[in-house]
Amino acid sequence: MVRTQLLVVGGGPAGLCGAIEASKRGVETLIVDEGVELGGQLVKQTHKFFGHEGFYASVRGFEIAKKLKDQLNEHVKIMLQTTVTGIYEDVVVLYDRQNDVTLEVQADYILLATGASERFIQFENNHLPGVYGAGAVQTLMNQFMVLPGKRFLMVGSGNIGLIVSYQLLQAGAEVAAIVEIADKVGGYDVHLRKVKRFGIPILLRHTIKKALGQERVTGAVVVQVDENFQPIEGTEKEFAVDAICIATGLVPSVELAAMANVKIEYVPELGGFVPYRDQNMRTNVEHVFIAGDLAGIEEATTAMIEGRIAGLTIAQLIKEIDLSKEIESLQNELIEFRSGPFSEKVRRGLAKFFPQRVVEYSREPQTDTGPIGKLRPVIECYENIPCNPCQTSCPTGAIEVPKNINSLPRIDYEKCTGCGICVSKCPGLAIFMVQENVEPGFDLVIVPYEMLPLPEKGERVIALDRDGKYVCEAQVIKIVRFPHKTNLVHLKVPAGFAAQVRNFRVKKRESVFVCKCEEVTLEEIEKAIDLGFTDYEELRRYLRVGMGMCGGRTCRASVLSILSRRLGKSPEELLKGHFRPPVMPTKFESILRGESNEN
Amino acid sequence: MKTEYRIIVVGAGIVGCSIAYHLAKFGESDVLVLEKNYISSGSTGRCAGGIRQQWSSPHNVLLAMRSVKLFERMSEETGFDIEYKQGGYLVLSYDEREASQFEENVKMQKNLGLNVELLTPNQVKRRFEYVNVEKVLLATFCQTDGHANPHLANFAYAHAAKRLGVTILTHTEVLAIEPTGSKFKVHTSRGRFESKILVNAAGAYAGQVASMLNVKLPVESYRHQILVTEPTKNFVDPMIISFSGNFYIRQTKHGHFIMGQGDKDERPGLNYNVTFRFEKDLARKICWLLPFLRKLRIVRHWSGHYNMSPDAQPIIGESAELANFYYAVGFSGHGFMLAPAVGEALAEKILFGETKHVSITELNVDRFEKSIVRETNVV
Amino acid sequence: MRRIFEHPILKRETARTVRFYFEGRELEALEGETVAAALIANGIDVFGETEHARPRGFFCAIGKCSSCLMVVDGEPNVRVCITPVKEGMKVQRQFGRSDVSW
Repeated sequence: MVRTQLLVVGGGPAGLCGAIEASKRGVETLIVDEGVELGGQLVKQTHKFFGHEGFYASVRGFEIAKKLKDQLNEHVKIMLQTTVTGIYEDVVVLYDRQNDVTLEVQADYILLATGASERFIQFENNHLPGVYGAGAVQTLMNQFMVLPGKRFLMVGSGNIGLIVSYQLLQAGAEVAAIVEIADKVGGYDVHLRKVKRFGIPILLRHTIKKALGQERVTGAVVVQVDENFQPIEGTEKEFAVDAICIATGLVPSVELAAMANVKIEYVPELGGFVPYRDQNMRTNVEHVFIAGDLAGIEEATTAMIEGRIAGLTIAQLIKEIDLSKEIESLQNELIEFRSGPFSEKVRRGLAKFFPQRVVEYSREPQTDTGPIGKLRPVIECYENIPCNPCQTSCPTGAIEVPKNINSLPRIDYEKCTGCGICVSKCPGLAIFMVQENVEPGFDLVIVPYEMLPLPEKGERVIALDRDGKYVCEAQVIKIVRFPHKTNLVHLKVPAGFAAQVRNFRVKKRESVFVCKCEEVTLEEIEKAIDLGFTDYEELRRYLRVGMGMCGGRTCRASVLSILSRRLGKSPEELLKGHFRPPVMPTKFESILRGESNEN
Repeated sequence: MKTEYRIIVVGAGIVGCSIAYHLAKFGESDVLVLEKNYISSGSTGRCAGGIRQQWSSPHNVLLAMRSVKLFERMSEETGFDIEYKQGGYLVLSYDEREASQFEENVKMQKNLGLNVELLTPNQVKRRFEYVNVEKVLLATFCQTDGHANPHLANFAYAHAAKRLGVTILTHTEVLAIEPTGSKFKVHTSRGRFESKILVNAAGAYAGQVASMLNVKLPVESYRHQILVTEPTKNFVDPMIISFSGNFYIRQTKHGHFIMGQGDKDERPGLNYNVTFRFEKDLARKICWLLPFLRKLRIVRHWSGHYNMSPDAQPIIGESAELANFYYAVGFSGHGFMLAPAVGEALAEKILFGETKHVSITELNVDRFEKSIVRETNVV
Repeated sequence: MRRIFEHPILKRETARTVRFYFEGRELEALEGETVAAALIANGIDVFGETEHARPRGFFCAIGKCSSCLMVVDGEPNVRVCITPVKEGMKVQRQFGRSDVSW
């Protein structure tokens, strides 16, 4: 029997924050998590968070997880790879997978932060391996650095669908298309723009009809739908993909709450069936609290704030101290965060539990893009989302997000010095620097870039517009690398294109093979010659070119001609290399047979 | 082009490059290495890349153990991956006298700190089930023995030496050497160079270089043949070798099996040809030892040279006849594995007058004036 | 090759290799990986079959959907997406219901 004052079920952002606040006030806390490490969904998030500075804005999710873990003090015990299997009438039961044993827990208070699971949708052959939840693909990609496929179809254009599509590009995969059954994209505009500028097609009013393949996915068929979401015959399109990502929403994991006799209500705006709770995250069962996606599908930022509110309220109850000021301040943060248009659905849902409030913000976009010819930022952020790192990062105070963080940003171009810090800090990668006529006949565009390969200074690349379409050729004149991995690439483009160019593509280095047996490319040979390997035999030993099954018959002449070109020597002046038997690979068995025939 | 150097090394094989690298590492980069062909053209580029510490003379064991320590660091130190792996060496004995000598050897090796085991045929079969242990009397196994890619190791030392300021000239053959008392005048196919110190690391050509100086070094080069098969997935970790059985075989990182045997009828001299007789003899022997090889195809067959000394141990030191003439020759088939420690030791001797890690005084040529105790652990 | 070696944001932590067995085949995993991640990294996507012989595999990654059940070290119905790989572990596909031995 384990006794604790606070049992936190789930070590994701909500649970961790609850544990941090409670343990800071000395509450004995036990965090139980099913995973191999704490952090929940944060561990897989490689993009920078929105919100504002006090709440880890512009910090990458997995880094936030580390920061939270570091804040757990000596009052916190942690059990990993452990599941809470039930809240029984008499006791809470844990299953410790490492020791294969059950454990009973008595806790004064329980904070359920069990998160959500992926919503599964119905289409033909949706059972095939290769059909994965988007969160699952994220886990493989970002936690274990394994890619389960090369070319993906993304189903769903909410924030998860858009973010995971972008992360797939970063991991080196291709996204054939994003299909969305509604008539507009579900996620943030800035997330949409991040994938659009790589040319990923977004098919609105489309859904997936069928997965192709016998043992695993080899393709997908999508179909257009009408206003009633019914498929329109004859509009089927087939994609050759080897993985299908389902990003069609999350469903709160309410099992334990239900077992604890918490009222479970149907609130579609919050994701379906959710447990009831008040403004302090307390349910109708007085010692049970909830926080995070379990309380309503939202974001990691709101999960963290809700977790803190729950932790503070519990600490207040256990330690009989007054923490109402801190709690109120956090509730105001939530109100501010939820004031924007995206949270309208959440507000409607939460209104079923307690009245909602909003704070005013500015919806005015800035139409002025500043003085032509001056190096300056252009902020392409036109949607009210709760976010303001551009404001806090600007060293001269030239950027303002007036009233509260949901407002649209405005730049005072008089104050702006063109330093470009805002470009690399914007979590939505929505800020670009432009300068018309940086030199006669050319404009300068500076874009944020988080992909590989990074081009080299001087390299010529293909400049793309906001839809990922070809605009012109550009030259990379500078690359500024940052430790936080959002690099700035300076592109020189022909005059007049500064307003169009918002991305680029490194010219595809198609493989040019010299030796097919050992897969040695022309590029590798040229590099080796640069390094000083100037003999056919040295190249052979260094790169294995010519060491394959064909004995160099396919590649020797090519290598010699490359050497001849590079060294400026005629073929006669080059050592042509050795010729070794056997000319055709021969089995030992054949030789033994031959020998016994001889004898 | 600079023609005067403090030190000239003849031969850019693994030994020559190791010496040059260590000289530069210890601060002396006024070094010129002369290579008559391309890097890794000599014995280094033709050997199987085995690295073992299981020797019959304590001296060789210590030298080899020091080499292994340096191999462990080589990729990191030179920034060049040499595909080093401690897959172990499994040494099989088919002869009574050899088997009891092994028992003595293992005692001696263990005393020097080597983690080596004696294995019965059954133990061999259990650990390495693909080996046919028929007729095996006894075996020894040392896990820290292993192998590396000799070409990459040669390039690693060469490039690291160059980075530290050493000059390496390939396709530059030494034609004659004039010792004038204060310096050596070296005549090559690309002009004349001078140095205060000369090092003979010419491998198979060591005898020729020595005779250019009228110094006697009792070395003879003998051809050894070697072949390689097509690749399979990796499953054989150790080098499997036998002196009484006369064979060696290992699986490379890329999955090929590289193997060879000695020919007691081979005559001294330089010979780069190959015989079909070798393929037939080796096929019979190796398919009996490792039956899974029967279906594998031979892809390449070539030859290289062992530079043999009278007792099959290297000849290293400074000439008593000619001051400032150093040599590291006569490696008798184990030059690759000793090159790191030898390069380090000779560089120390040249620069500081004495070695700091292993002693090489017993390996100087004057030992032949006493008695000859032959190293027997050679294929 | 399904392992990601170069990534614009993430750095691969150096991890020891762990050897495990999938139906007799020796495979390499990295310390800290789950069995599911290791199998997918090695190109194995089919984790078993349903009772009606339909292939099934990975889906949710967080131990909830039970799509990834396999036999691990003789034990059936193991959720391999949340089970870390251990040296020498034996993993087999599970076809339909588990076997019970007497």
